Amino acid sequence: MAYAPEPETSGTRQVVMAVGIALLSVGTLYMADEPQQRVTQAFQVSVLRPFIWTQETLAQARIRADQIDDLQSEVDSLTAVVSTQGALVDENRTLRDLLGLAERASPTYLRATLIRAGGTGSESLFFIDKGSADGVQVYAPVVSAHGLVGRILEVRARSAVGMDWTNPDFRVSAMLEDGSAYGMVENARGEFREADRLVLNGTAYHENLASGTRVLTSGLGGVFPRGIPVGTIDGTAEVEGTWRKSYWMRPAVEPGSVTHVLVAGMGAPVDVSGLWPGETMGTQTDEIGRDPGL
Amino acid sequence: MTASRRPVVLVVSLGVLHFVLHVGFGIGRAAPDLLTIGLLLMARDVGVGTAAGLGLFFGLLEDSLSVLAFGANSVAMTAIGILGSLTRDLFVGDSRLFVLSYLFVGKWTRDFIQWILVGEELRQPFTSEVLVQGGLGALYVALVGLALTGFIRLTADS
Repeated sequence: MAYAPEPETSGTRQVVMAVGIALLSVGTLYMADEPQQRVTQAFQVSVLRPFIWTQETLAQARIRADQIDDLQSEVDSLTAVVSTQGALVDENRTLRDLLGLAERASPTYLRATLIRAGGTGSESLFFIDKGSADGVQVYAPVVSAHGLVGRILEVRARSAVGMDWTNPDFRVSAMLEDGSAYGMVENARGEFREADRLVLNGTAYHENLASGTRVLTSGLGGVFPRGIPVGTIDGTAEVEGTWRKSYWMRPAVEPGSVTHVLVAGMGAPVDVSGLWPGETMGTQTDEIGRDPGL
Repeated sequence: MTASRRPVVLVVSLGVLHFVLHVGFGIGRAAPDLLTIGLLLMARDVGVGTAAGLGLFFGLLEDSLSVLAFGANSVAMTAIGILGSLTRDLFVGDSRLFVLSYLFVGKWTRDFIQWILVGEELRQPFTSEVLVQGGLGALYVALVGLALTGFIRLTADS
């Protein structure tokens, strides 16, 4: 307001100019469409261009942001669908394998669903939905399509508690597939849970067990029937003097990924070697790395 | 910056900011009518013809964005440019109350003239458009203008 020297507001030139401009402004009200459009266009492509461009840019950015949200939602939905299908494919394959085994092993082996409590201290324990009413007994072996999972610890009427091979108390008498060497398989704790391994102990020193050789339950001791795959030899673990060797084993079953199992019921045979034909058996560790969709 | 240049810089800045807010960001009525504030403040410092010319220029800019009522803004802005310039001969002073009243009446008059000229097809009811919306818009402009003049005085003094 009081920034400049006093202007001459009522000078004749100023008044004439004001009247002329006022008339011109009134004239714009009655301007024909064509000159109107020319004036409008002239301002829009010159003085107003940066502002219109800003609005267009912001509008496009908003649209892109909305599209990104939409695309992200679609990606999330597809990921959910794909991951669900992946799990279904995996479960389907497991069930097919188990179905084949169940047909060969029935009626003495019962199909069961394995559930893990997941709490601290219960990592190597599991529940199955079959109990004494179904014919499940303490010490009954629990197997999957790939081999030995563990054994039953406690039995209730409709459920049972078992331990898998990652339990420190797990022991099983085992032998090479051809019966040339015998030993005791036990759990060897790693520095962390995922590093747990199986070790074959008690083999004769002069026996050299080649990596990749299948190890089955021997049936000695009467707890586990003969012929359930436990794993494969995976190198020498320890040599003590000249009288003892132990071997690392690659387990046949990864207990963490098992959801459906067979559990031995009453009258189960003491030799089940025929249930896991050698040529069809691979360790589950090999299979986990495979794409379930292939 | 010299005293003679200050109003020009002010009015150009307000004009640019007005279009950035209203057109660029599309804020609409939430942003104050800085074009009218610039015109009303400038009109007190220049001759009546210059104020009319500036009003017509601003009006044409606004009309370029409102094709349906072409000319209404031009006439309204030209009119308040002329009236704003004439107030210098009628009212002397730049007290806060005067600035507040001047900007309020100026903005309300602009809206009122525009409301008359837009035509019956586009015209909203008088009560809502002129009394309520116009009154609130005028108050908004007056308060923003008052803050702006206060800021200008501070920078001019320092």
